Amino acid sequence: MLEKQTDPTSPMHWRGDMQADYMYTNGVAGDRFFRHLMEKDTFLATKCKKCGKVLFPARLYCEDCFQEISESDWLEVPATGTVRVFTVATINAHGKKMEEPKIIALIDIDKTDGALLGIIKTKDLKRDFCGVKVKAVFKPKEKREGTLKDILYFEEKI
Amino acid sequence: MKDVAVIGAGMTLFRRRLKETGKELSFLAAKMALEEAGIQKSDLDMVVMGSAPDAFDGIHMKGENLIDGAAAAGKPYVRVFNGGGTGVFAPIAGWWHVASGVADIVMVVCEEKMGSCYPHPQTAFRHIWDPIIDRPLNPNLIWLFAMEMNRYMTVYNIKKEDIARVAVKNKRNAVGHPCAQLADPNITIDDVLNSEVMAWPVQRLDVSPPSDGASALIYCSKDKVHQFTDDPIWVDGVGWGIDSTMWTNRDLCFPRYVATAAKMAYKMAGITNPPKDIDFAEPYDPFDYKELHHMEGLLLCKKGEAPILTREGVTQRDGDLPICPSGGLLGVGNPIAATMGQKVCEVYWQLAGKAGKRQIPGDPRVGVGQAWGDIMQMATVIVLRR
Repeated sequence: MLEKQTDPTSPMHWRGDMQADYMYTNGVAGDRFFRHLMEKDTFLATKCKKCGKVLFPARLYCEDCFQEISESDWLEVPATGTVRVFTVATINAHGKKMEEPKIIALIDIDKTDGALLGIIKTKDLKRDFCGVKVKAVFKPKEKREGTLKDILYFEEKI
Repeated sequence: MKDVAVIGAGMTLFRRRLKETGKELSFLAAKMALEEAGIQKSDLDMVVMGSAPDAFDGIHMKGENLIDGAAAAGKPYVRVFNGGGTGVFAPIAGWWHVASGVADIVMVVCEEKMGSCYPHPQTAFRHIWDPIIDRPLNPNLIWLFAMEMNRYMTVYNIKKEDIARVAVKNKRNAVGHPCAQLADPNITIDDVLNSEVMAWPVQRLDVSPPSDGASALIYCSKDKVHQFTDDPIWVDGVGWGIDSTMWTNRDLCFPRYVATAAKMAYKMAGITNPPKDIDFAEPYDPFDYKELHHMEGLLLCKKGEAPILTREGVTQRDGDLPICPSGGLLGVGNPIAATMGQKVCEVYWQLAGKAGKRQIPGDPRVGVGQAWGDIMQMATVIVLRR
């Protein structure tokens, strides 16, 4: 009875979709983080009173201590960091070779205990980026929309 | 099995589209419960999360997304869900963590952010049906509830106004609730009967609103409860049961799966005569007729008798058998899993004498909470006792 089908339309079927659209709120901390990003070329972080960790991106609470963040715990940090680790993607989500390889890095943000996933733009695709200092390159202020896409990419900080 | 006590609870405001993320809502509810219990995250052995379909928040496997707001990062953690049944099933799962002896102190957090699903969370319900037998007709949950309500009215010859009384009672009960979304001190039966017809006989005010919110509950084993209170509120019984997924083959009049779950919980709690042994109940009331349905499934009255008790005032907060003293889903709101706030936290608050303006008079000792989910087939029941 069990037989492998290579043509998905060959068994009798009903064709359906799972359409659903979403409007994700930035949240209380996220709202402030992204409003700041629209105006400045720096980031916002929050410092836990209890353990002293600088949470990045800014959060409403410290997940370790469960300490709520108050007004005086907010701080501005530079949009720079150090690449902890990276990879070079050459195949896209559809399994096709990408026209240009993409460098994806985990960037430890300076003066914080947090990191951000970022794209690195470079001409030197062979380079070992581990430990390299990078800085964020933002969209022009008038084009920013208060989303992660306002950061165009990271590049080496010279 | 170890005895399990409730030592704290918390609940956020319920509103459609709150600014907070799901994890921020979880944090706010969890923090309230920790403060009420007088403990910290480090005191928790384990955490249980209840959150219903991923399709509401729009995050696949949202249980892991919510971890840090549930004080669960770095701890044993599990998410459980069975649709609308989750609000009572998550505390049942939390209970077995402690009853089994695996943990002493466990927090249960329930979260739902239905406002993310745009333009309306009903969209998410389009995909819960059997793709071959149901979906070609593009069914809507309201259709089903309308047929169930009509069947209930037809079989027992119930007038629509006797069903509308439930919406009036619950929306008025919710007036004293600080989290309530649809409290209305002046609502009348006519308001319900004159509200927009959605799918006859279901009208706008027969239905609870979609919502964002979170709630939390903290359990402690009998071994340690003396550290927190001299007068514990105990979990006396739990039960759950499910009916066939072929909903077309169900009776649609008497919810036998609720009776299955209730009998299991009552047996554990030593309840032999439910209407006499139980002081008040929080049956699941996403629709007004469901409160009546569930009262009968919970064996709190005879079949078809719930509307009569409601008409006679028995189910009012100061009646002989108060039903939904919190204001229920109809009055407080319906962020699916987070309704643990009305269905279990409220039972705890009532028994502990902490229900404020909603407090039932007369020193209640035994309360029952119940939820209902999946495709109208899942029942979850909990009995608390002081």
